[in-house]
Amino acid sequence: MRIPIKYIIKKISLFFVVFMGAITVNFALPRMMPGNPAQVVYSQILRAGGSGVSPVYLNQLEVEYGLSKAPLYIQYFQYLDNLFHGNLGVSISYFPEPVSTILAQALPWTLFLVISSITISFFIGNHLGRYAGTNRNTGKDLAIDLFSMFMAAFPAFVLAFIILDIFAVYGNLFPIGGAYGISVNEGLNVPFILSVLYHAFLPALTIILISLGGWVLGMRNNIIPSLNSDFINYSENLGFKKYQIKSIAYRNAILPNMTGFAMSIGLSTSGVIIEESIFSYPGVGMYMINAINSLDYPLIQGIFLMVVIAVLIGNFAVDILYGFLDPRIRQEGD
Amino acid sequence: MEEKSNLNEKNIYNKSTKSKVRTSVIKSTLGTLLKNNKSKTGFIMLLSIITFSIIGIFYSPYNPNAYLFKIAQPPNSVNLLGTTGYGQDVFSELLRGAAPTLMIAFTVGLLGTLIAVLVGIFAGFTSKTTNAVINIFINIFLVIPGVLLIMLFGTYFMGIRQNLGYLPTIIILVITGWAFGARTFRSITLSIVKRDFVLSSILIGESKISIIVRQIMRAIMPIIVSNFFFTSMYGAMGLTFIEYLGVGNIQQVNWGTMLYWAINYEAYLTGTWWWILPPSIMISLLMFSLILLNFGLDEMANPSLRVFKKKKRDKNE
Repeated sequence: MRIPIKYIIKKISLFFVVFMGAITVNFALPRMMPGNPAQVVYSQILRAGGSGVSPVYLNQLEVEYGLSKAPLYIQYFQYLDNLFHGNLGVSISYFPEPVSTILAQALPWTLFLVISSITISFFIGNHLGRYAGTNRNTGKDLAIDLFSMFMAAFPAFVLAFIILDIFAVYGNLFPIGGAYGISVNEGLNVPFILSVLYHAFLPALTIILISLGGWVLGMRNNIIPSLNSDFINYSENLGFKKYQIKSIAYRNAILPNMTGFAMSIGLSTSGVIIEESIFSYPGVGMYMINAINSLDYPLIQGIFLMVVIAVLIGNFAVDILYGFLDPRIRQEGD
Repeated sequence: MEEKSNLNEKNIYNKSTKSKVRTSVIKSTLGTLLKNNKSKTGFIMLLSIITFSIIGIFYSPYNPNAYLFKIAQPPNSVNLLGTTGYGQDVFSELLRGAAPTLMIAFTVGLLGTLIAVLVGIFAGFTSKTTNAVINIFINIFLVIPGVLLIMLFGTYFMGIRQNLGYLPTIIILVITGWAFGARTFRSITLSIVKRDFVLSSILIGESKISIIVRQIMRAIMPIIVSNFFFTSMYGAMGLTFIEYLGVGNIQQVNWGTMLYWAINYEAYLTGTWWWILPPSIMISLLMFSLILLNFGLDEMANPSLRVFKKKKRDKNE
């Protein structure tokens, strides 16, 4: 296989530019804020019992929030310098924990939840869509279509509350919160892994149900034209069996959904952030909601940056993989 | 005087023919839509929701903001849908909250689609470098998770602490909602510009604006309408997210704030389902009607999805 160098270079440069754009948004927003956020943050830290902070820190905050008198471009470089040294500031609501420590704790859980649930949802959704498309205009097709449309239409967080209510609060079948039980030891042992899966079940189920609809309808609408196309007629005449023909059509119809997969990473992350706060799952989403409720700007900014970077890397990985899978995409880069 | 009125008449005549052409495009889109069973159902659903909201503007059984009743009463003859945990009438809130919810959804749909069409067609029509720059710009907005931007902008608007009504909500939703459509319109314009009928118009000497309006806009009309529905869905869903996160204006009555207060009161734990379900179901119905309308549009834009019963039977046998 020819390695699509041009395509990869194009994707890397796009990755870099989008990354810089996101950083700049993050840089610009607090500077558009009215009043003196540094003073607010400083007094909040004092109130939270931060006896160790000195006016020097206030000075540093003022630099971070663009209140220093230095010209904007110097502030920007200071901001970049801080960023690349992993210095994201100190959280207010979790004082005196640095933002980077909180992120290091929270990010693995979120990644685990996002990756597992959107992969499962992609798999189930495509197969349901294939089933609906191959049995189209039957009762089964209608049932699957209506179900997935309804799931896509229902407010996500209400669904999460209902599921939490039924299975955890009244049903007592699943835990109400947390990522693993108290009684297990962290590490690579069987009880811990089982406990993690057990705790992740409900949040993952909700995310899967919410994101299923898009895949189902996308696959259904892709596989129907694919089943009517010439190469399928040809294979039919060659005497391929029915299930073989379905799988050929399926393989062609899945390509547009693959592109959607890369783009859905960002979308799913949105859902995950909401679900995590509802299921008290200790990922970045839970911290994000807490940070917003206490107007913890350093933590909000840190999470924003982290999530954007994670989503970008995910996109990048899928794009590169896709470039190897589909030759037409590679050529688009030339 | 007479000359002037003559001129006016001429102008009016010109205008009316132009608008006739435009309405006929919309009419034909609507006409084909209503032939499809799914989109017909969606259309009827949407019309009834809109009627519901119009009734709500002028009439509600009780003042939705007043705490008139016992708290958390299940549905009964006085309160059709029971009362909230604070003693308001749920049905009145539902009725009053319909209009703002629809207003936000469709305003976001309209503005988001407008920006998407402008940016997308402009990108498809300009030089390669401008196109690439716009593409990067669109990608930035696509990649950043929408909820994060909602939270970020929401907290900053909250920092301003001024009562701007629904303006911040709409601004946030338009900012986070236009990019998806712009991406679609950009790629479609890029492919249409290369086609012969556009080339011939360019050779004839038609102006760019005229080509955009007469050739391209008309060709992609179903997709524009579909994008409007999608962005409106995003607007309705986004409103509930904004209100749920508490970064909107939680004092106003709409379906999003109803959910916010219900969840804040932990209605899902206290078993007051009549409080949390009605707004959820109304939002679902609204989204459902738009999805159904879109289904019909899909079949319009992609004829192979349409049902040709006889032909299909022949093929199977």
